[in-house]
Amino acid sequence: MVKSMYIHIPFCKSICSYCDFAKILYNEKYVMPYLEKLKNEVIDAYDGKEINTLYIGGGTPSCLEETELIYLSEIIKTIKLSDTYEFTFECNIEDISPDLLILLKDMKVNRLSIGIESFNKCKLDFMNRKADFKDVQQKINLVRSYGFDNINLDLMYGLPGETLKDTKKDLKYILKLNPEHISTYSLIIEDHTMCKIRSDENIDPEEEIKMYEYIVKTLKKKGYNHYEVSNFSKSGYQSKHNMTYWNNEEYYGFGLGASGYIEGFRYDNTKNLDAYLLSKYRESEVLMSKSDMMENEVMLGLRKMEGINLQEFFDKYEINMQDAFPIKPLIKNKELIYKDGYVYINPKYIYVMNELLLKLI
Amino acid sequence: MKQSNIRNFSIIAHIDHGKSTLADRILEITGALDKRELKAQTLDSMDIERERGITIKLNAVELKYNLDGEEYTLHLIDTPGHVDFSYEVSRSLAACEGAVLVVDAAQGIEAQTLANLYLALESDLVIIPVINKIDLPNADVEKVTNELVNVLGFKKEDIILTSGKTGEGVKELIEEIIKKVPAPKIDNESPTRALIFDSYYDDYRGVIVSVKLEEGEIRKKDKIKFMATGESFDIEEIGVNTPKQVLKDKMISGEVGFIGASIKSIESVNVGDTVTVLRNEASIPLDGYKPMKPMVYSGIFPVEPNKYEALKEALEKLKLNDASLTIEKESSEALGFGFRCGFLGLLHMDVIKERIKREFGIEIIVTSPSVIYKVKLTNGEIIEVDNPNSMPDRVSIKSVEEPFIRTNIFVPSEYIGDVMGLCTEKRGIFETTEYIDQKRVNIHYLLPLSEIVYDFFDKLKSYTKGYASFDYELIGYRESDLVKMDILLNGEKVDALSLIVHKDSAYKRGKEIVSNLKEVIPRQLFQIPIQASIGSKIIARENISAMRKNVLAKCYGGDISRKRKLLEKQKEGKKKMKMIGKVELPSEAFLSILKSDK
Repeated sequence: MVKSMYIHIPFCKSICSYCDFAKILYNEKYVMPYLEKLKNEVIDAYDGKEINTLYIGGGTPSCLEETELIYLSEIIKTIKLSDTYEFTFECNIEDISPDLLILLKDMKVNRLSIGIESFNKCKLDFMNRKADFKDVQQKINLVRSYGFDNINLDLMYGLPGETLKDTKKDLKYILKLNPEHISTYSLIIEDHTMCKIRSDENIDPEEEIKMYEYIVKTLKKKGYNHYEVSNFSKSGYQSKHNMTYWNNEEYYGFGLGASGYIEGFRYDNTKNLDAYLLSKYRESEVLMSKSDMMENEVMLGLRKMEGINLQEFFDKYEINMQDAFPIKPLIKNKELIYKDGYVYINPKYIYVMNELLLKLI
Repeated sequence: MKQSNIRNFSIIAHIDHGKSTLADRILEITGALDKRELKAQTLDSMDIERERGITIKLNAVELKYNLDGEEYTLHLIDTPGHVDFSYEVSRSLAACEGAVLVVDAAQGIEAQTLANLYLALESDLVIIPVINKIDLPNADVEKVTNELVNVLGFKKEDIILTSGKTGEGVKELIEEIIKKVPAPKIDNESPTRALIFDSYYDDYRGVIVSVKLEEGEIRKKDKIKFMATGESFDIEEIGVNTPKQVLKDKMISGEVGFIGASIKSIESVNVGDTVTVLRNEASIPLDGYKPMKPMVYSGIFPVEPNKYEALKEALEKLKLNDASLTIEKESSEALGFGFRCGFLGLLHMDVIKERIKREFGIEIIVTSPSVIYKVKLTNGEIIEVDNPNSMPDRVSIKSVEEPFIRTNIFVPSEYIGDVMGLCTEKRGIFETTEYIDQKRVNIHYLLPLSEIVYDFFDKLKSYTKGYASFDYELIGYRESDLVKMDILLNGEKVDALSLIVHKDSAYKRGKEIVSNLKEVIPRQLFQIPIQASIGSKIIARENISAMRKNVLAKCYGGDISRKRKLLEKQKEGKKKMKMIGKVELPSEAFLSILKSDK
């Protein structure tokens, strides 16, 4: 049963240098036609059953004009949400206004994900972004005054030229804002991004791991639970939607460049707006075999710090994880840890977890 | 066809002097191929040959040419130009009565011009000197003519000027070949004897042998017999390459062609063996060739152990038309089962390695090459060692001898100092310097072959800005102070990385090797010490720090399929690695110990 849904809004007012999602500079001409096609895509595929998590991401969904947002909310209203639903909406800090917040409230959004990434001038310039601490603080207060009590902030680290001191400072500011959830990523230079075109280079991994270790240590001290490689939350505020991915559960994906996983098929939508506007949504789909599913379960499940529950694994695949994958030598090497029915990666090895995955799948 | 109108000839030259292009032009002018059919360098049929611009395997083609109302049949037998393949050259020369010696109009005589000329003279061939590439802007025909006259003793009026590129002079060259090269000996009556100078395996037709028929006749209905193995086969086909294969009913003495006889086993055919026919059977085989002894040995192991049989089959197929390749089973603690192979030189080794990968699709590990050492034991016994791991314990060794070579190094005289410096560094013993003209010299040194196997050639090229050409002959064995050096990874000795070095350079080499290994071995989850040792003494050490990062920082709904592919790609890379104890070693590691610092 599909209980999660992702909807992609590709429009942005400016393009971040590292972003490899489907994205287009905001152009009024395309927004309504896009939303119309999006509506059709949802109507065609959605089975009308209750959805537990809904995530509207981008791009920058918050950059839409009011009429466009109202049209989007019409689409959303066709989706049936469960009693314990989580509905996340991605926002850019400069888009936040009372009008927007009222609209979001009306849409039943109950979680906001705000991409801050940094307050450091050099880092911001590198990313082609803007942020000013005072301004952000005011906006966050505004958000809270409208009753939003589940806020995620993003923090990027490991940018060229960044020092551990810069990371510490950024983290300090983020903590001042007291978000319920923090996602923190090192820079990945992906194909078809400005970073790639400019031939940006990653910093020395020795430096990067120091930053990561500092973040992990500090956030733990401040009461955040490190529950996934790059994600931290206060108690009770884990991202339910993202847990769908890491639990290898099915989800709808709608919109330009979105991916989904329905009835055993993993599919990718086109990243070409022209094709999308001609209703050619899907670009590819692949049926997952049982071994694909099990391997994905391992690749994704071990991202969670709590790891994989062996009983749940057995219930799902009718085979013991230790019979399907050579986990025993890794447990012996203390690369994996087995405790209370769970197998998880020794936190010492979390930043080299691919090496362990390569031994397993 | 009149047998007296047959001409068998080769083209010999230093590498890059335009031999293959000239051969293409001859093919075009005799109408064997039109321009459209002519890929550049038609005779170089292997991809590796075309890519590297070298000829490795000889090829024979039959051409027709009319002169003064007579039709002549020319057999052009192509030859390799590289020093490693001089054995192949002598094989093709044995099937000829004449040779065209090609010299580049801009470069002049080079090391292999000389080496190949000597081989041709040993076979009593008529030599036609040719100055090629006369179309080049920097061609200096007068200077090169003087070299040919003064150094090699040709007559000025006998030299033909050609351009393989424009075709100029090529017609004259063909006619000169007809006039000067004698027809092969004609003897149709004696018992049949044909020399096998090449063979290859065809999946549909079995082993195809290339022969030169010296005496008697071979007819299509004949039963042939290989004199060395005694095996007989019914002929299925006789033919010639034109260069397209054309079938014939019979072959007469003096002719060059191929025979197919559904020969299933490659072991039945030995290059250099004599083919006879049961109808008119010979009792004494032809002289054949002295099989050339390999100069360097190294281990070849499959990366995946289950590819051992496939590797065995591949090596046997390669050996079929490469008599100089020797194969013996070898087992290594680190690498499992594989083969100890003998090669004529490093280029030969490289070519075999590439062919195993490309033609047979097998990932292999090649260990560091070694020469053959003669080890005198304290008990008076002398043993030959071609594998560092077979080197006896130091206490039981009285002395060790290693092969030495004499060099021909052709170089502009301003580089004499650099070349001498390099040769001294490589433990060379100076002999003489000959002046080719005012500006070029041929430097003779005696050098240990093991230094040539190491990095001599690369260094020579860089010291002389690429101007030097180099050739050598083996002159025998000399005593040297040699020691076995072992490499330890993570504290464990890796037998496949051991090598024999001169005592004086052991520390330097040890340092180079551990630092090279540090560069090629990827970081792993734990720190790995790399050490070089002589006996129990550690002489160099480096550490590979533990890997710090290999993680997908973010992995959400849209990333899953893509990240999965990324992992699979990393997994593919891992497959090419060999587990040595707990350490994953890339196959380059085994050859990286050959590279020097500079």
